[in-house]
Parts: sequence; C-alpha cells; structure tokens
Amino acid sequence: MTAATKSAQLAAIEESGWGRPFRFVQPRNLAFWVYLLGVGGGALALLRYFGPGAHFYRPALTGGVLLFGLYLVPWLLLLRHQNRYTAQPASLLTAAFAWGGLAATFWIALPANTALLEIWAKVGGTAFASDWAAGLTAPINEEFGKALGLVLLLGLAPRLVRGAYDGFIIGAFIGLGFQVFEDVLYVYNGAAQTFGTDQIATSFQIFVVRGATGIVSHALFSAIFCAGLMWVLGRTSERNVPRGVLTMLAAMVFHFAWDDMGGLSGGIGVLAILLPFVIAAVELVTLFYVLRHAARQERAWVRGLLGPEVEAGVVDPALLGAVSGLRSDRKAFRKLVGDRRRTRHLLDAASDLARELAAARGADSPGVVHARAELLRLRHGGGPARPGALTVNG
Amino acid sequence: MTQAAPPGWVPVEHRFLGLDRRTFAPALGVLAVALVLLYGLPALNAVVPWHNEIRPGDVLDLGDGATAVPPVGWQLEDGILAGTASVSPASLTAQLTTGGATISLRGAAFPGSADAFLDQVLRSEGGSPGVDGSRGTLTTASGLVGVALGSTSPQGDELDVAFKMASAAGEAENAPALLVRVRTAPGQFERQQDTVTTFLRSITPGAIR
Repeated sequence: MTAATKSAQLAAIEESGWGRPFRFVQPRNLAFWVYLLGVGGGALALLRYFGPGAHFYRPALTGGVLLFGLYLVPWLLLLRHQNRYTAQPASLLTAAFAWGGLAATFWIALPANTALLEIWAKVGGTAFASDWAAGLTAPINEEFGKALGLVLLLGLAPRLVRGAYDGFIIGAFIGLGFQVFEDVLYVYNGAAQTFGTDQIATSFQIFVVRGATGIVSHALFSAIFCAGLMWVLGRTSERNVPRGVLTMLAAMVFHFAWDDMGGLSGGIGVLAILLPFVIAAVELVTLFYVLRHAARQERAWVRGLLGPEVEAGVVDPALLGAVSGLRSDRKAFRKLVGDRRRTRHLLDAASDLARELAAARGADSPGVVHARAELLRLRHGGGPARPGALTVNG
Repeated sequence: MTQAAPPGWVPVEHRFLGLDRRTFAPALGVLAVALVLLYGLPALNAVVPWHNEIRPGDVLDLGDGATAVPPVGWQLEDGILAGTASVSPASLTAQLTTGGATISLRGAAFPGSADAFLDQVLRSEGGSPGVDGSRGTLTTASGLVGVALGSTSPQGDELDVAFKMASAAGEAENAPALLVRVRTAPGQFERQQDTVTTFLRSITPGAIR
C-alpha cells in the first residue's frame, strides 16, 4: 500500500466523521438543551391539542395512528436504502424524526402558522387568504422549523454531520416525522370538522389523499431544503452559497405550489387536474439532481476509504465504482456480475468493509479483518464462510 | 505525553456555567429563529388590525349557492364573500366579529335532521343531548327551518342554531349541515339581538343542488 492511498484513506475517515458514535445525551452542549426544549414543548403542545377531544375522537385518532404508522414502513425502507455511502447512525436519524414530528410540527408550525395565516387575511382580505395564505405561510414556517432540527444535530454531532448528502438524509427524516405527525393532525381535524360523524371513513379518506400526496411532500421538501442549507453552511470544501440558497428556495417554491394549487389553477378544471402531476414531476427531477450533486463528496470519501483495499486487491475497481457510485454504476456492475443476488452481496460486503475501516480509523481491527475475509470469500465464489482471517499488509 | 480527553470533556477555557461555549452559536441561533416564529409572528398578528369591514351589499358565500347577508360594519375575519372565490358547504368556515360579539359559521356533511346535528355537535363537545334546556325553531326569510339553543353564563350569552341547507322539502336528510354560533360578552346580547336575528333570517339555501 502506498503512503498516498493510506493518507487519503485517513483523510476521508477524518473529514467524513464516519464511524464516530453519536452521543445524544450531552449535558454540556447547549444544542442538547434547546433540542429537549423543542421536542418537550412539542410533546406538551400535542397533548394540549389532542387531549380534550381524545376520548370522543378516539376512533379517528386510532385509525390515523395505525394507518400512518403502516405508511411509515415503506418510507423507512426507502430512506434506509438511500442512507448509503458514509451512512448516518440510526440514533441520529431517530432524533431527526422526533424533531420533525414534535418540535417542528407542534412547537413551531402550529402557533406560527395560525398567526401568519391571520396576518395574510388581515393584509389581503379573506378571499386572497383563501387562495394564497397557505402557500405564503407553510414554506416559511415549516421549512425553517424543520431545518432548525438539522442545525441542532450539527451542534450535537459536528463530526458526523458533514456534507450536503448528510443534510439530504437527515432532512428527509425530519420531513418524514413532520409529515406523519401532521397527517395524524389532519385526521383529527377532519373528524372534528364533521363533529365526529363517521370517524373511521373520514380518517381513511384523509389517509388516501394525504398518503398519495405525501410521496412528494415534506420528506422531499426537507431533503432538498436541508441539502441546500448544508451547502450554505459549508462544513466541507463543497461549500457553495448560491447553489445552497437556490436549492432552499426550490424546496420552498415546491411547498408553495402544493399548498396553493387551487390559487395557481385559477379554478380551471383541466389545470387543477394536471398541475399536481406536473409539479410532482418537476419535484422528482430536482430531487434526483440535488441527490446526485450532494452525493459527490460522499462518493469521493468512499473511494478514499477503500483505496488501500483496491491496491491490495481486496476490492476490484469495478466493485469500488459500484459501491461508491450512482444507480447507473451499480446497474453496470450488476450486468458485469450477471447475478442480481451476488451483486447485492458483494456491494453489502464492500460497504461492511468500509464501515469497519472507518470504525477502526483505518487500522486492521478484528472487524476489518473479518469484513475483508467475507468480501474475499464472496468474490471467490461465495461458498460457506470458513474460520480464519486474511489480512492486507499496510 | 497527552492522552485523549474523555467523552464530553470540555477544556476549562471553553466553559461557561458548565456548558461548552463552542456549542452556543448553533443552539442560540436555533433558539432565536424559533422564538421569532413562536412569539414574533403572534405579536405581529396582535398589532395588525383587521380592515375587512362588511359593506352594504356584501353577501356571504355559504357554498353551492347558499348565502347569508352579513351585518354591515362587522369585520369578516374568516369566510368568503359571494363572487370572490369558491366554497364547499361541507367544509365552510366563516367568522364575523364586532365589539363584544362574534358570529361563527361551520358547514359539515351530516346525514340526519338539524336537531340530530345539534345533538352531535353537543356530544362532540362533551355535552349531553337532551339535558341542555329547551330548543326553539327559527325560520329564515327563505323558509329554512333551524333548531336554536341558547344559554347564559357569567362569561356571556351563547346561541347555537343548526340548519340543514336543503332547498326543497324531502332533501334535508342528505343536505349539508350548517352550525351558526353567536357568542356575546355579558350584557351585549340584547344590544346585538336585532342584528343577529336579521343575519340568521337572511340565510338562504342554494337554489340548485
């Protein structure tokens, strides 16, 4: 192994912060206390909101919690899949989800939206407010409310939260928390709107509508907004303020467009039908564009991290390209291997090795030795695991 | 030889009241933005006055062609005037206010009579239908019959009127329901009684359903 590749590996480990544990309880860190204030305040506001009607609206609330609880499962699987490269620990992502669900929704958005919606009605009249107030309120209060969680997690884990891709993944979890808790709030409000008549049917209707629109809603807005915020804050060499500001504005414009769909379509039936699909398509194109750019730094880190392993012949260049690459790279690798299952095993094994190397700060720990042996076993046919270890000399 | 600091160790020169001063920037930044959103916006809202006074000729849109004539001079704080936007009768909300009195309107999809709708409203608020005092009927100028329930407390006077917004007899069962709630400060109801009655009598169901 050359000194240059080893040095690049250590630099990648240091810059990415990968392998460092996330410690949530940090009594000497002010960000920890502000986080607790936000989430605690949100939990209290939630109890105050649902408490008085919880008994009467129990069927709707139970239905909402169950349906949106199930709705979470595919989302978590999808985000787990996206949490690749230098993956964030589950405890940090749980903290992000809790901020989105409790602090951003109930502590900040609920009172702030009420006030700003009324201000728009006072300034522009109730007809103007009916068409535009939601879109002029939520993108400001909710996007900033959610992004505050990312800033606090930056304060709690400055070595772990480094690049735009981290912002993207953490933002998606904050947005998902916000979305699911807001959906339950909508179920409750829907039942209250009909004074509790036919609560199960009402909650199911809201689940269908919110579940469908939720595909391109808060998780997506926040992923884009928080990736932009990380470009603005610039924790690594990838700092790019204009790109960051434009990305944040794009997320806010998408949020505005969804909330003011009625005003934008101007009551024209065809436009009202087509507009959601057009906006969703533009959102998804933007999402993948941001994802691609945000992943550049992470991919470089993975390449640096596995560089010595490539030199030692443990990881071949094609596998390195796939494990540090985009979907197209993984697809090309799958074609090369010719077996979908084996491709997945090789990619997972290479990721395991990268993770173990980061945790061991580049040293040959027992975990690294085992992960390396596993990868070699899979590369050479994938027969049953044998005792013993292979080492790569540095 | 220097050893790695234990987790959470803060060098003395970075401490302030036991906290790590290096963590203040993100934490205080978040707190400042949160406080602006939490308290700044409500404070701004409190100082911005309403300028949405009802003028002669204004008509309140109750959805699907149903209307009411709001009292001139009151502030329209929620709701849509006819001809400005579209409203769904099943999700209608509107609010009119003047010094010491508020009229709020809420539409809902409800299968059943106006009397049953008022029962459902009371149940949803923890009340017991049937032990809430006597109910009266109120007939609007268009012939719509509502069920009215009034009460008085040290906090003021309350009047709830429930309607089924059916334009023809026999359609009431499936027509949207409308709840009108009048709340006045103590001693104010008598002063506003004629205005409220005129408003209630002006409620007209949609011509086409």
